[in-house]
Amino acid sequence: MPSDPVVLAFDTSAAHCAAALLVGERIVVARTEDMGRGQAERLFPLLEEILSEAGKTWRDLTAIGVGVGPGNFTGIRISVSAARGLALALGIPAVGIDGFDARNSVTPAGQIVAIPAPREQYYIRPEGAETALVSHAEAALSGPLHTDVSALDLIRAIAVLAASRACATTTPPSPVYVRPADAAPSRDTAPVLLDQ
Amino acid sequence: MIESLTVLGLESSCDDTAAAVVRLVDGSTPQILSSVVYGQSELHSAFGGVVPEIAARAHAEKLDVSVRQALEQAGVGLDKLDAVAVTAGPGLIGGVMSGVMCAKGIAAATGLPLIGVNHLAGHALTPRLTDRIDYPYLMLLVSGGHCQYLIVHGPQAFTRLGGTIDDAPGEAFDKTARLLGLPQPGGPSVEAEGRLGDPKRFRFPRPLLDRPDCNLSFSGLKTALMRLRDQLVAEQGGLTRQDRADLCAGFQAAIVDTLAEKTRRAMKIYLAENPDTPVLAVAGGVAANASIRSALEEVCGEMGIGFVAPPLRLCTDNAAMIAYAGIELFLAGAHDSMTLSARPRWPLDQNSPALLGSGKKGAKA
Repeated sequence: MPSDPVVLAFDTSAAHCAAALLVGERIVVARTEDMGRGQAERLFPLLEEILSEAGKTWRDLTAIGVGVGPGNFTGIRISVSAARGLALALGIPAVGIDGFDARNSVTPAGQIVAIPAPREQYYIRPEGAETALVSHAEAALSGPLHTDVSALDLIRAIAVLAASRACATTTPPSPVYVRPADAAPSRDTAPVLLDQ
Repeated sequence: MIESLTVLGLESSCDDTAAAVVRLVDGSTPQILSSVVYGQSELHSAFGGVVPEIAARAHAEKLDVSVRQALEQAGVGLDKLDAVAVTAGPGLIGGVMSGVMCAKGIAAATGLPLIGVNHLAGHALTPRLTDRIDYPYLMLLVSGGHCQYLIVHGPQAFTRLGGTIDDAPGEAFDKTARLLGLPQPGGPSVEAEGRLGDPKRFRFPRPLLDRPDCNLSFSGLKTALMRLRDQLVAEQGGLTRQDRADLCAGFQAAIVDTLAEKTRRAMKIYLAENPDTPVLAVAGGVAANASIRSALEEVCGEMGIGFVAPPLRLCTDNAAMIAYAGIELFLAGAHDSMTLSARPRWPLDQNSPALLGSGKKGAKA
């Protein structure tokens, strides 16, 4: 009989550093810290504190759960890169959990998850549609919005979903950016060649 | 004495995602067991330069793949490593951060020591990896993002004699290529074009040669090139192939002359320290330029000092240099905690006054 899953989940997709440890079917430790910056420095010490609080070591883990956004680009990459490094070295799957999947599981029926985005916008993922970045006003047209899932609820949901999907996971976690990278083609135009 | 030391290196500070395994055997001979480099040129080509967000996105999904390949090619399992070294700056922060987080994950999971490496130290120590030269040596670091003269005294002891006060030569080559409609990266295409041209037809400035120090400036060359180009376009309605080749040749000659003369000055300062076996080493992508290389060799010959230029694949960004710098740092007792920060700015010489950058973000060089 396989042993109980031990899943360490973390998320830095917004202004927080959140992590939870799930053993069997139970979240044994969950912790979040609000922070605008510094997640890259804080994440691993936080994870080690959580493991030691639960009396576990890195080697006990059976899977990693990681929030892949949408959210802050740098924040998402911090966690995804960490998860990929851990998965590689521990030989266990890293399960990327979409922020909508996680929030939907803790949002009352009838409400629509809207993830805060910069410049008065939300990321929304209407049922059956692609994730989109829209203005607050446009988001409100989709129905009653649920915009404030707590970091604690979020990370607990990520841990639970990661545990349930670990066996079926075959691809490494990838960030969900929604927006393309800001980049404009070069403004320099080449001169005409007279003897082409 | 340590018999063998095997270090994994990760590099992601610009537009190359790289991982490598380097082993030091018999306590002194470094061997590159693997060196994997994934370039991103095609991702950035439409934009005429490296786009930080595009670079960061690519690094985040390529680092672990590179590490896996580097370990496989080296035939080394994680259990055979002694440390994990990672570029912790300076560079484009998104990529550096991904590298640092991936390395932390590997170090945490394995219990291996984590060593944050200055990317520039990686370049500066490469001549010891390839040619095992002794400290102190004179280093000219010349790339797309950097240009400085350093006396390298040890893995953490650098004295900067001077450097660019604005652009790096690599940037100037790229800009020249853009202005003349030549492909990116600009270094090789401007060099190839310049071979067909007359370096004396157009007059380009030799910036800062009137000052006795070792500082350089390249942004004025770009402006000079743009003026000459616009003048030709205004007169003729465009450029001939010969115009383009002559512009490239003249531009390159200005860079070569400036670097040669400033190198001569840097050497005098270095030789005053009476090194046992004086050597000038070059590193960075611009060191691939044949005209620059031969001019530097000539100066070395003139001054009677040795010249070392690592092979191109170790001159441009790679992770073998990071793994090797990690080995030297490890032997010097350096290691970092899990709070290691990714630093966009991190001058090698912390004592000399800043040449570039100031304020809240601090000195760039």
